[in-house]
Amino acid sequence: MNASGIKFGLGVYTTLFLVFLYGPLVVLAILSFQTGPEGGPQFPIIEWSTYWYKHLFGLTPPSRIAPLPIDQGLGRSMLLAMMTMVVSTILGVTAAQAFRRKFTGSGVVFYLIVLGMMVPGVLVGLGMALVANTLGIERHWWGTAFVLHVVYTFPFAFLVMLAIFNRFDSSVEEASWSLGVSPARTFRKVTFPLIFPGVLSAMLFAFTLSYDEFSRTLFASGRDLTLPLAIYGTFSVEVHPNVFAFGVLTTLFSFALLSVYAVLMGLSVRRAKRIAVQEEA
Amino acid sequence: MSAVLQLSNVVKTYGDLRALDGIELSLPEDSYVSLLGPSGSGKTTLLRVIAGFEQPESGAIRFSGKDVSNTPPHERNIGFVFQNFALFPHLSVYDNIAFGLVNRAVDPVTDMKLLDRKVRDMISLVGLAGLEGRATTQISGGQKQRVALARTLVTEPQMVLLDEPLGALDANLRARMRSELRMIRERCGVTFLHVTGSETEALAMGDTVLVLDRARIAQQGDSDTIYNRPCSPAVARFLNCYNLFSGKMADGGFATAQGLLGFQGHPQRAADPAYAIRYDRVDIRPAGAAATADEVQIEGTFIASEYTGSAVNAFFSLDDGKVFEVEAHLSHRAPENYEPHRRYALAWKREDALVFA
Repeated sequence: MNASGIKFGLGVYTTLFLVFLYGPLVVLAILSFQTGPEGGPQFPIIEWSTYWYKHLFGLTPPSRIAPLPIDQGLGRSMLLAMMTMVVSTILGVTAAQAFRRKFTGSGVVFYLIVLGMMVPGVLVGLGMALVANTLGIERHWWGTAFVLHVVYTFPFAFLVMLAIFNRFDSSVEEASWSLGVSPARTFRKVTFPLIFPGVLSAMLFAFTLSYDEFSRTLFASGRDLTLPLAIYGTFSVEVHPNVFAFGVLTTLFSFALLSVYAVLMGLSVRRAKRIAVQEEA
Repeated sequence: MSAVLQLSNVVKTYGDLRALDGIELSLPEDSYVSLLGPSGSGKTTLLRVIAGFEQPESGAIRFSGKDVSNTPPHERNIGFVFQNFALFPHLSVYDNIAFGLVNRAVDPVTDMKLLDRKVRDMISLVGLAGLEGRATTQISGGQKQRVALARTLVTEPQMVLLDEPLGALDANLRARMRSELRMIRERCGVTFLHVTGSETEALAMGDTVLVLDRARIAQQGDSDTIYNRPCSPAVARFLNCYNLFSGKMADGGFATAQGLLGFQGHPQRAADPAYAIRYDRVDIRPAGAAATADEVQIEGTFIASEYTGSAVNAFFSLDDGKVFEVEAHLSHRAPENYEPHRRYALAWKREDALVFA
């Protein structure tokens, strides 16, 4: 096969891949503009409208379709993701820092940490629920579920930071020590600014993984539902396009989050260049 | 002159490898010390142990009268200039130099006026004026070298360790930085310990030269002594200016594969016996020429010569296949043309030879 044939084949493959990846999302987005309240989650579109978006925010006249019970779930999920992000990132950075030197049992500890992202969520969730019951601990999204979220996202943050430290030239830290700067201050003033892009990535991982975590939360969160659980709960009755409208909004939110990440990343990378440009101007 | 740094019996091992094998060392105050050693001789390890980045297994390190063996690096007041400079990439040239003064644990400078004055003085001392705002990626290798030096000197350490500081620079810049380093050191009045693998650099820069061989200090002395009276065949080999013959002492000379080679005076003590003659002490003559009574003469086949500008280095193959090098300084005589594959007599004065036994 010649080179252009291979190129064409790969092009077709990539296109198909993208269609499968984003097709469902596009279908959801289109259906979210179905008319309401009589329109259902299927084609054809009876009439284009933003009814379900209004319905989401309670701006429509009362109808037989109950509003999506998400306002509390959204708040909980956000707060949980934030807490998880902060704790997992701190743990990930400090653990990766510890792994820069070989210590006794470092191999075992490494696999123990990574195990947190390998074991099936349902098992861990169920296990946590059983342990909590046995010990008489009440299950809450901010308690038992939070612990599981950290166990799950910490390995991701840890692996990201491990890769970052792998490429880190530690002679800049030694240079700082030899200037009389204590190791703690060296970490704050030299190490941390240099690994900051990696820290951002670790934070992003932890946040997004926790935000839509389902299986672990299902068993461990107790009676107050997080957002993924609340949405799942509505499916068991009847699916209306308001769920799709909400899906579109959360996707937009994720993109906004990614944009913030990209901007922060760009700023930290471009700092050196900016100094140079000012110098030449 | 009192000693600023004293090492006694310092041992550092990596697994089975003894990187430092009982180092004994005493460095004078206010002087330029160069440390010469081939790669793998433990030079960098020695510096890292002195700086406190590595812990030796045994031995004591005394620095300005105190035992610092268990002192962490940031409390030693010893500066370190890295071969790769290790500048802080997220800081400008100015901030790199100000970093130590602002952030150090002991006596940080908080008065901005004082800080600015100190940093600017240092910037002009090392000749970096006008580059204060540049990023470290926007300056040349020589400028990075100066930033690394300025960053260290501005904190006024009692001693500065330099790990092959000129290794990353091109030849032209290296020659210029040599004299600048010496000048800067004289103005600061602290001891520099400069590690290098280049014998010319070590001899040119050091008031005192240390030669490191197989994890031990082989010789310590001024450049002239090291060059003219190396204390062992290994030191003579690093200096890259001696033809060495192995063999053993015999009646009336030193027995080698080239026959009995004569010498004057007493042989120096050394573990492995050898006979050494400097490249530039040898005279090349037509084969069969007569030697005078105070001369030693051998024969060799001319291979090739190398023109270095001020001198010509001629290479001869001896009968046992060994290569013999002769350096002829062109200020003394015009370069002669030797014919390849032809035999020549190589002669030198007995008194110029060094013998280790």
